[in-house]
Amino acid sequence: MNSEAKRNKSVGSKVANWCRDFGRQWQLQTMVLPGIICMIIFNFIPIYGLTLAFKSYSVTSTIQDSPWVGMQNFQTILQDKYFWQSVQNTVGISAIKLVIEFFLPIILAIMIFELNWAPFKKVVQTITYLPHFLSWIILGGMLITWMSSNGMLNGLLNMLGFNIHTNHMLNAGGYWSIASLSDVWKEAGWGTILYLATMSKIDPTYYEAAEMDGASKIRQIWSITIPEMSNIIALNLILSVSGLFNSNLDQTLVLMNSQNQPKAEVINSYVYRVGLTQGDFSYATAVGLGVGIISVVLLTITNLVTKKLNDNQSVL
Amino acid sequence: MKKKGILRALSAVVVLGSALILTACGGKKADSGSSNLPKASYKVSKDTPAWKSDKSKMTTLTWFVKEEWWNKDYGKDYITKQIKKDLNVNIKFVTGDDTKLNTYFASGNMPDMITIDDPNSKVARTANTWAYSLQDLATKYDPYFYKVAQKDTLNWYKIKGQTYGYPNYSNTPADYKSGKILPRDAFIIRQDVKDAIGDQDFTTPEGFVKGMKAIKEKFPNLIPFGFNDFSGGNSSLENVVQDMLGVPITKNGKYYDRDLDPDYIKWLNAFREVHADGNISDDSFTDDSNAFKEKVANGKYATMMMGSDVNQGTDLQNFATKHPGAEYLAINGIQSTVGREPTLSQAGISGWLINYISNKSKNPAKAIQVFEYLLSNKGQMLTNFGEKGKMYTQAADGTVTRTAFAKKVQLEEPTKWQKQYRIGEFILFGHDRYKALNKDSYVKAVWQMQDWGKKYLKPQFVIENIAPDPGTQEARALSAIQTNWSTTMVSMIRAKDKSEFDSALAKYKKFQKENSIEAINKTRDANIVANKKKLNMK
Repeated sequence: MNSEAKRNKSVGSKVANWCRDFGRQWQLQTMVLPGIICMIIFNFIPIYGLTLAFKSYSVTSTIQDSPWVGMQNFQTILQDKYFWQSVQNTVGISAIKLVIEFFLPIILAIMIFELNWAPFKKVVQTITYLPHFLSWIILGGMLITWMSSNGMLNGLLNMLGFNIHTNHMLNAGGYWSIASLSDVWKEAGWGTILYLATMSKIDPTYYEAAEMDGASKIRQIWSITIPEMSNIIALNLILSVSGLFNSNLDQTLVLMNSQNQPKAEVINSYVYRVGLTQGDFSYATAVGLGVGIISVVLLTITNLVTKKLNDNQSVL
Repeated sequence: MKKKGILRALSAVVVLGSALILTACGGKKADSGSSNLPKASYKVSKDTPAWKSDKSKMTTLTWFVKEEWWNKDYGKDYITKQIKKDLNVNIKFVTGDDTKLNTYFASGNMPDMITIDDPNSKVARTANTWAYSLQDLATKYDPYFYKVAQKDTLNWYKIKGQTYGYPNYSNTPADYKSGKILPRDAFIIRQDVKDAIGDQDFTTPEGFVKGMKAIKEKFPNLIPFGFNDFSGGNSSLENVVQDMLGVPITKNGKYYDRDLDPDYIKWLNAFREVHADGNISDDSFTDDSNAFKEKVANGKYATMMMGSDVNQGTDLQNFATKHPGAEYLAINGIQSTVGREPTLSQAGISGWLINYISNKSKNPAKAIQVFEYLLSNKGQMLTNFGEKGKMYTQAADGTVTRTAFAKKVQLEEPTKWQKQYRIGEFILFGHDRYKALNKDSYVKAVWQMQDWGKKYLKPQFVIENIAPDPGTQEARALSAIQTNWSTTMVSMIRAKDKSEFDSALAKYKKFQKENSIEAINKTRDANIVANKKKLNMK
């Protein structure tokens, strides 16, 4: 009895405190309001649309009008061979991207950071950023030309004495490497920005002290640069792992053809094909919801793991 | 604690907000039914178009066209200016995709007229719930509509005895017989190649393979055999080749799987041999439509299985103009090994874009007048050829000749031709019957190809729109089968040897069985029976 009253009182006083604090900062709080409203409208209310996954919906009906079908859409997913194929491809391509695209920007950033001659550094940065600004429509068109039977790649190979006249885009087995490597080429430079920004914050006296102690460049990188960047590296890792099920729709739509399709179809392009081009919205929503849930699980797991590695401190 | 409080407040707002939105969206239910149509404000007659007697003031109609490329201008060019003047109507065009259409349905705030492109879609199949019956509107407001609309087309689009949509380019059995509908597909070869390789027989699989070899020898820089790009389906290697071989569309009144026809498979194997000889380029499988067009315009292919020559008309003409003596010609090639004649197809009775008047329209009388006007001779001549006298003259037999002025504008000022005159571009109710009145509607480069195939045209109405309802298990299975076939067909052509070819085909057959092809074919059979009934066929 006594303790409950105490607790009620403390809860009451906490609420009062909260209100007082809020009143004091009302100008600041008002500034946040438009953001919150936008978030509610664009991020929270659309969540309601997820009910589509449990309904049978068509273009001519509203979300409420459509009949409930329970887990039927999810049961279909389990038997859908093409869905599982797309999951396999998504995870496969993402895993390759994860390994390369996670490490490469770090290495590249350190290399750029260690460049002393400023003009050359600028040139390197500009060149590596450049592909990021080209859309996949353009880049994909270029790739298809390069990979064609008389394209640049075969030209190079033939110069080296191989006699190859196949069109590499038709080779389903090679698609994963084409997709992931081209993505790395496009994004690696851009990925260095975060790291370079972090490195510029490192106190130069650390390096001076290390040099006085006779540490080599490699030693300095290993013992100063990387530990200083560990938080941002961990954050990037969490984001990349939770993005394992994210796939690049633009890239897939441009590069996919009837021959590499078994290896090229990813979840996003599958959802696009089924949902938008075939008008099967409910099924596509069910797929999207399932993938979303798996991604949240992945995010939580990686966060837990990195937290363990990072002295129980979350970087999120 | 603070955090929790904010969270709680937030969730309260979310619940409240969504509840508000839900109630706002709800409540509006379709109240279809034509029984409560208001009376016409003018005298209705079955011998005069209603727009002539309707003296009501200027009305504005919204017209949604589910095609992003549709030109939304209205009242700026000669054609829409004339429509505006004659009908006293202002049209606001809106374009978009399915999502946009869905917001219309969900909000209940529908445009007056809606144009969609897929007779198989749920939207089209449930038109009776959201559109006015054209018969109801025509009888009440504009009976002249029955004089200008094709009876067969109206019948074809009936749902429970009423027609809701009217398509453009819908060819009726009579159109096919009239000789005014021209074929679009042909096996074509460059004139200079044909002259150089001597007597070759492209009509049999063996002769085809040999002929391609002969071309390669004489013209090492050309790709001996080409076909349409794969971006919009299975190129010209599926339906077009099957039409060339006269593969039947039904057998004993039942659906016939043309992809598995032995004659067709034999030809696919011939293509495999041509590919193995290096006479089909792998790039042809990855080219998009632009790359294909470029190759056509440059005469890269010595021979082509040309599907829809009309769409490649500009490129064929460009090449022919620049290289006299090398222009592409249609010849006999890729023909049945079992003695069947080609059965070339053209746009079917389903047409292309389907126009509806929504049952939420405030002014259905004006809307049906627009339909009637555009379908009438006056509207067709206007949209196809522009201003009489200035842009064209018409002979006693109906044939149309463009004036020197029109030809000059078209040739020298294409932008003006499009923006100011918009001739032949306002096609929501277009029909080839009118296009055929003027030989210049088609570029000269395709005339010979059209002549070649004229006698082989044969409608395929009974197999139109027979696929299972979208969103059903069967529709999903069919889509999986079709995806698999695209991969299989190309794999078969690219196979190294006959055994690889056969095993790809066997795998596809197995895939079909695993994906309930039998249930799908049953649905198709039932739909074929329904189609025959609509067409009054036995």
